[in-house]
Order: sequence, then C-alpha cells, then structure tokens
Amino acid sequence: MTELSKIRNFSIIAHIDHGKSTLADRLLEECNAIEQRHRAEQILDSMELEQERGITIKATAATLTYTADDGETYALNLIDTPGHVDFNYEVSRSLAACEGAVLVVDASQGVEAQTLANTYLAIDAGLEVLPVINKIDLPSARPAEVKAEVEDIIGIPAEDSPEISAKNGINIHSVLEMIVKDVPAPTGDRNGPLQALIFDSQYDSYRGVIVYTRIKQGTVRPGMDIKMMATGAMYKVVEVGTMHPTGLKSCDALGAGEVGYITASIKTVQDTQVGDTITSVENPAAEPLPGYREVQPMVFSGVYPADGAKYQDLREALEKLKLNDASMSYELESSIALGFGFRCGFLGLLHMEIIQERLEREYNLDLITTAPNVVYRITKNNGEVMMVYTPLDYPDPMEIQLAEEPFAKVNLIAPQEYVGNIMDLAQQRRGEFKDMVYLDANRVELHYEMPLNEIIYDFFDALKSRTRGYGSLDYELIGYRPSRLVKLDILLNGDVVDALSFILFADNAYPRARKICEKLKDNIPRAQFEIPIQAAIGGKIIARETIKALRKDVLAKCYGGDITRKKKLLEKQKEGKKRMRTFGTVSVPSEAFMAVLKLDED
Amino acid sequence: MGIFGRKEKTPLGIYIHVPFCRSKCQYCDFYSLTDKDDRLMEDYMDAVCEHIKEAGQRSPGYLVDTVYFGGGTPSFFGADGMAAILTAIRRSFEVSGSAEITFEANPDSVSTRLLRRLRSEGFNRVSLGIQCDDDRILKQIGRPHNYEQAVQAVKNIRSAGFKNLSVDLIYGLPGQTLEGWQKTLRNVMELRPEHISCYGLKVEEGTPLYECRDYSNLPDDDMQADMYLSTVEILRSKGFRQYEISNFARRGYESRHNMKYWTGGEYLGFGPDASSDFAGKRFKIIRDLHGYIDGIQNKGAVLDEVEEISDRERAGEYLMMRLRTVQGIDREEYEKRFLLPFKPLEEALEQYRQRGHALGAEGRWRLTAEGFLLSNTILTELLLIQENSEPLAKRR
Repeated sequence: MTELSKIRNFSIIAHIDHGKSTLADRLLEECNAIEQRHRAEQILDSMELEQERGITIKATAATLTYTADDGETYALNLIDTPGHVDFNYEVSRSLAACEGAVLVVDASQGVEAQTLANTYLAIDAGLEVLPVINKIDLPSARPAEVKAEVEDIIGIPAEDSPEISAKNGINIHSVLEMIVKDVPAPTGDRNGPLQALIFDSQYDSYRGVIVYTRIKQGTVRPGMDIKMMATGAMYKVVEVGTMHPTGLKSCDALGAGEVGYITASIKTVQDTQVGDTITSVENPAAEPLPGYREVQPMVFSGVYPADGAKYQDLREALEKLKLNDASMSYELESSIALGFGFRCGFLGLLHMEIIQERLEREYNLDLITTAPNVVYRITKNNGEVMMVYTPLDYPDPMEIQLAEEPFAKVNLIAPQEYVGNIMDLAQQRRGEFKDMVYLDANRVELHYEMPLNEIIYDFFDALKSRTRGYGSLDYELIGYRPSRLVKLDILLNGDVVDALSFILFADNAYPRARKICEKLKDNIPRAQFEIPIQAAIGGKIIARETIKALRKDVLAKCYGGDITRKKKLLEKQKEGKKRMRTFGTVSVPSEAFMAVLKLDED
Repeated sequence: MGIFGRKEKTPLGIYIHVPFCRSKCQYCDFYSLTDKDDRLMEDYMDAVCEHIKEAGQRSPGYLVDTVYFGGGTPSFFGADGMAAILTAIRRSFEVSGSAEITFEANPDSVSTRLLRRLRSEGFNRVSLGIQCDDDRILKQIGRPHNYEQAVQAVKNIRSAGFKNLSVDLIYGLPGQTLEGWQKTLRNVMELRPEHISCYGLKVEEGTPLYECRDYSNLPDDDMQADMYLSTVEILRSKGFRQYEISNFARRGYESRHNMKYWTGGEYLGFGPDASSDFAGKRFKIIRDLHGYIDGIQNKGAVLDEVEEISDRERAGEYLMMRLRTVQGIDREEYEKRFLLPFKPLEEALEQYRQRGHALGAEGRWRLTAEGFLLSNTILTELLLIQENSEPLAKRR
C-alpha cells in the first residue's frame, strides 16, 4: 500500500475536443507509463466507438508512478470521466473518487457549458480545481483572456495556471508538478470499517465483473467477504490490484486513499452499481458513502430486428451488452406491426445511438428502432397512476385524468450574438425562460425549464447549427409537470402501424403529423396499389398523404440472351424486399422508421 | 430418340455480336465501337470465324435452327463480313434448311446491293432499327438517319426479297408525348412489318443520355406505362399478337431466336460481350474487341463469366423468363422439371389475378399487359416464395 501522503487522486475535466484524452496520454508518457508503440491510440478511450466519436463513454482509470522535483515518488491516480451530457451521474461519481480535478480550457474557445457544469460538480464535491490552459500553440490562442475568464466565471485563481499544448507536449511537466503540489493527499483510516466507492465496473468473461473503486476507509484484501450496500449483493474477494495503461497489476491489499480494482467472481454489473459502497461483511460500515442514485434510463425506444427471425440473436446481444452497461435497460415488447422486440431504456439519445451502433456492428444485426420517447406519468380517472414507457401502453384519452411529462433545467452557453437564435429555438421547444447571465463581455448563459421530450429530439444539433457550433448545453431533470399530451397514430392503407405511434404535446400534433406523412411518402416505395398514409389522434384523421400506385417496374429489354444481368437486378430487388417489413399489404423499409425520427433536418 | 432409334439433334441458336456502329446513340449501352477501321473489322471477322470453328468441333449433336447477327450495327459492318461468318457457321455446324437467319440493320446502311447479297447468302429476316418517326427526336437521341430513310429502307428490304421484317421502336424518348407515340405506331403500321419490338426507354448509367437526364424532358414512369398500354391496344387492333413483354408479331412471325432466351433454349454467342447458355453453363465473352481478337489468335481466354446453373436457379429463371411471354408458366411442367410446389406461386398469382395483373386457369398462368408492366415487382415476390418453398421430393 502506498503512504497516504504519496497519493494524488485526480480527474480531468474538459469540453469535447478540448484535448482531454491527448493530455491524459501526455501525462502517461511523461511518467513512462506507456511504451512508445502504444502512442498511436489514445489509451483511455478503449472502445472503438469512443475513438471514432472522440468522446469518452465509460470512465476508466490508471495509476501513474511519478518522481517529482522534490525527489519523492508519487502514485498519481487519474480517473477519467465521460464527456457527454447523457452521463452526468457517472461524472459525479468519478469526481467523488478524487481530491482534485484538472480543468482543461481551450486557449482560444474559453469556458463552455459542459465544462462549466462538470466544474461545478467538482467544486460541489469539494475538489481542488486546477485550471490548465491548453492549445496555446494555436494562432488564435488568447491565454491571458481565457485565464481572466476562468477567474471571472468560475471564481477560481488561474493566474499561475500552466499554459500547455497537449498535442505538442509543451509544459506537461508543470501539470504533473501542479498535481503533486496542489491536489490534496487523500485521508482515511485504513483500520476502520471498509467503505469503497464504486465508480465504474466492467464485465470480463474470465474474471467476472471488475469493479473499479476508490477506497475511502478501511482496507480490502483477497479472501474478504464483501457486501454492496445498496444492492445487498455479497461476494468473496478474489483479487485486488491497481490499473495501469498496460493492464491490471494485482497486489496484497488496497487501503484507504487508494484507487484500484476488485474482482470477486461477480456475474453481472447489476450488482455493482456505480456510486454504491462496498463494505466488509464482518465489520460493516455504519453508513454508505453519500451520493448513490439508482441510474434511471430517461429515453425509451423500441428496438426490433429488421428480420423478425433474428429475435433470439437480438436478445442474446442485449444480454451481453447489459453485462457491461448497468444504465441500459431492456424489456420484452411485442408490436403488432414488428412482432417481438425490446423496449430499451437509455440515458439519452447519444447513449441510444451508441447501443444501436454496437448492436449493429459488434453483433451484426439489422435493427428497426422506433421513435424515442421519455417516460410519461398518467393519472387515470380511477386514480391509478401509471408510468408510460411506450406509446403501445398509452391509455385511451377518455380514461386520462391527468397527463404529465418530465421537465428539465437547461443551461445554455453561447456567444452573445446568438442569443436571439437560441431564444427562438428554446421557445419552439416549449422552453420557459428563467434568466440570462453575462459570463463576460461576449458570452451569455441562459437558463430555461423545458420538457425533456423537446431536448431529446436533436435539440443539441439544432443548437449547434444555430450558434455555428459555439453553443453548448447541459440539463438536469427537475420532475414532472402537467401537460397536454396526445398519442398520434399512423395508418398505412387504413391500418394502424403501432410501431409508428408516438406521444407528443397536443399543439405540435398537426405540424408534426403533416411532416411525418410527407416523410413516409418519400420513404415507402410505391406498391401495385395506392397507399393512403394517415395520421390520426383517437379516431380523427389530422393529416393525409397518398402514395400513388406503382405502374411500371419492368425490364423492357431482355435481349442478346444476357440473363445474368436480369437475374442480378431481380436479386437486388429481392434483397431489398427482404429488408422491408410488411404491414398488412404495405412494405416499409427500415429507413422509413429512421426518417420519421429525423423530422427537423430540413 | 427419333423413330428410327437415331438420337435427335438438339436445337441450337447462334448469336453473333457485331461491335461496330457509324455513331453511338445517346441512350445505348451495348458494346460497340464507332471507328471504321478496315483492318480491325477484318481481324474481328477472322477471330469470329476461328472461334466458330473451334466451337463447332466441340459441339456435335446440335442442329442450328436460328442465327442472329446483332450489335452494334451488322449492316454497317457490311455484307462481305456477315456472309463470311455465316459461311463459317455452316462449315462448322449443321444448320437447318429452315433456320431463321436474322440480321440487325439501320436505315442508313441498307443499300439494295447489301440486301440482295445477304438474301442470296440465306439471310431471311431483317430487324430494322427505326425507333421513332419524329426526325427532331431521332436527331436528339443521336440516330444516324431520319424517318424518310427508314421508309426507303423498308422498300429496299422488300424489293430484295425479305418476307420477314421486324422493326424496333422506342417509347419514352425525350420530348415524346403519348399522341406522338401513337402517331409513330400508326405510321409504322403502314410499312407493314411482320414483327414489331417496342422497348420502353431505360436510361442506363454511363450513357450520354444519363448525364443529361434531368433536362431531357423524359416522360415519367406513369407516362411510359400509358404509352405501353396504348401500344398493346393499338397493335392488337392491327392484328399483332403480343407474345412477349416488348414483342408483337403477326401469327407465325414470332422471333424464334429470341424465344430461345425466354424459354430456356440453348444458344452460343460469338464476338465481344456475347452471352451463351450452352450445355448447362452460362457464359459471357469479354467486353473488349481487342482482347477478344487477341484471345482467339493466341488461344487465350476470352470468357468473362462462366456459371454453372443449378436446378434451383433454373427454376428461378423459368419464372423470370417464361413470365415475360404470353406462354407463361405451367404447373405440370414446373413441378416435373424442378420438383418444387406450384401451389404457393399460384396463391400469389391469384392475388395478382384479382388486381388484373395475371390471368390463369388450370395450372397455366401468364401476366396481363398491366402485369407485364409490373413484372419485376411480381417476379420478386414469386422468387421469394420459391426460395422459401420445400422441394416436393428429393431428386434421385
């Protein structure tokens, strides 16, 4: 075990693209933790998808051994945090495992909303926040101004902050020295009852779940009986150790102040919820560590195999993904139109896209995903309160006494010139303006309260496009509020296609219904008969389009005996038809479902 | 077996691809070259003759009953070359005395001399590419002739003694109207052909027309459908029976060569880009004249694709090709030949019958004109049904 005074636990807070992963890599290099041949990849973003999207989806950690200018050798535990608004809770738990945070600020762009949100999380968690000004090599860098901005906006000293370029390896040493000097050493009684904070876990098919933890009090050793205080699950510890960029390194014990891993033949990550406290069965802690929250998926969508026969494959893929992702949920769902599938819950749309992409890529599945929705709370006339996760369960309007939808507090930051655009957008999305604060002469933070539903539909993209990419956003749920909701049904050739139904705010129903009908018209191929597309609320049709009957689909010339060519053509057409789902007599390609999701593109 | 116990010969069609044209039409994606290079034409002719000789040695037991010179523009290639190739065929294969021997011609390259010569060599059918009677459109699509030349060509063809004339027409051309097309049909009727092929224009990728498709004032699919249905109607009223999606003939004048393609007959193709279906294999010659000549001269490879066709695939082709014709498909023949159930197909066809797209009774089914127009859609469904059906019995 490392002496408490020689341990520093810290994380890095940065806006997407502001160089967090690059800085992490440079720190690891400076400590010789990575061999040169590993340099090509950014070590902490281990998933292929993370690398492609340039964001960190799951938290990870690494211990760096650093010999400082004072001649002492320190164990620096870097705990990486996810970088997207969907993963706020995970960020808060990672921060709770640290005593300090390095705040990376882009020398030309300054402080952004997401950074600000995470910085406040860090400050609230009692962390020492240490700003670092990055990208000073850029011609547009304005380090002095940005430092002043940090002091003004966040209210922490930045005058002596290192000015670095993670990309070019400039001044990395000063960052390490700052960590040693300014991040407080951890405290904690290594002989007290065990309190270990779970900040992440990962399923490994050989060892079972690997729990990433920060020991707050006591000591954990192999052979010890442990208990997860929130889930109640009990296990016997098999191995403990520390994480290194090159892999895991086992050790005899982890004591208070240390960051490391525990394995205990744990079968599922459900038992090792992020934020939960591990204690000893023999000498349990009186209280769990504060801040645990059961992770609640906020966005739900139906996930179906494009080919109905692949249902079992989808189930197996979801089971495997779930092993490693406690924040995703799935439940069997059956749609008249699509057959068997799953209602899956996600933290947000990004999380949803990531899961979908992983299902399609890693498990080679073609999926049909229905429009995502939030969870509505419906009080029926008989007093029964129900949470509605899917439009399939939405009760008859006659039975509804009160309909409520979740609201969120939204913080938006952008240069002042875009305030008008942002206000228009927020208003369109039913945002209720709260206040507006000038962060500096140029930048403004706006606060709104807005239905979550309006945020999950491409709000972030819309914000980006209206602020030329300068706008940033974070949000937090604040509870349910009464709303006027309706369920919109789509009828193809007179039959309701339940998988296309969704719940929305009544005033949006007409324009949205019209748009959906148009989109479907463009995406459903003409058939041998006319296909009416209708949108209806209850029994009332509110929009209609017609797909004209297909009259010509023929290869007029089949000539010179080139039958192979004709065969190939029909083969292609056949494969296309296989990818379509047939509803009654209408064939709908899976792209049509996607098109309905992307209504605000044009 | 014949009545004297002698094995009867298998009928065979021969196709010669002649890859030369005076100029390239805007819509055409067939393989042809436009430089008139006497040396190249001669090398081509020698290569085809040599190729025929080789093939003939390997193919005893066949009786050639159709020969078809297509292109390209065989009439532009010239009578001497065609005569030489036909002679090579006769030397290497047994050619039936009643064989149908066709050549394709364009109105600008059918001199009386050429026609007389070919008639005397034994050619007995001409397929004349007229396409349209509107000179403005002919010019726009890059045809090297006007309608007046087409009228004159028909006169020359008749006076040279050809009793079997087919004309090719295209509907759906740039700027063409329904009325314009109907007028074309009526004018062409006055030329009194025995056979008419009417093709809906398909804008193929890689053609000049494809490049300017967006501003070529092309009739849309619905208009093409109207033109097609009106074609079927007009030609029927003039005594032309539709026997395939795009082909119409006076009784007895159906193209015997083309029928082989649609009914699973065997045929051998010579010349670049020519296709064959022979002895259970389907193959295609490379789409490269120089490579073809070189391959034949040096005994190298000239084939591009060779596929062995399984019974299951033949079953698919049966549907694909037979349903192009009015002969259609037949339960007994289908089940016997492919050992696959006809019933699931029949159930789907019954749906099409109710929509007016198919006609059928007692196990024989064909598509109607409206059905022909949608044949790809219908075939796609039938092929999927076929793919999913269990064989009636295992072939021993």
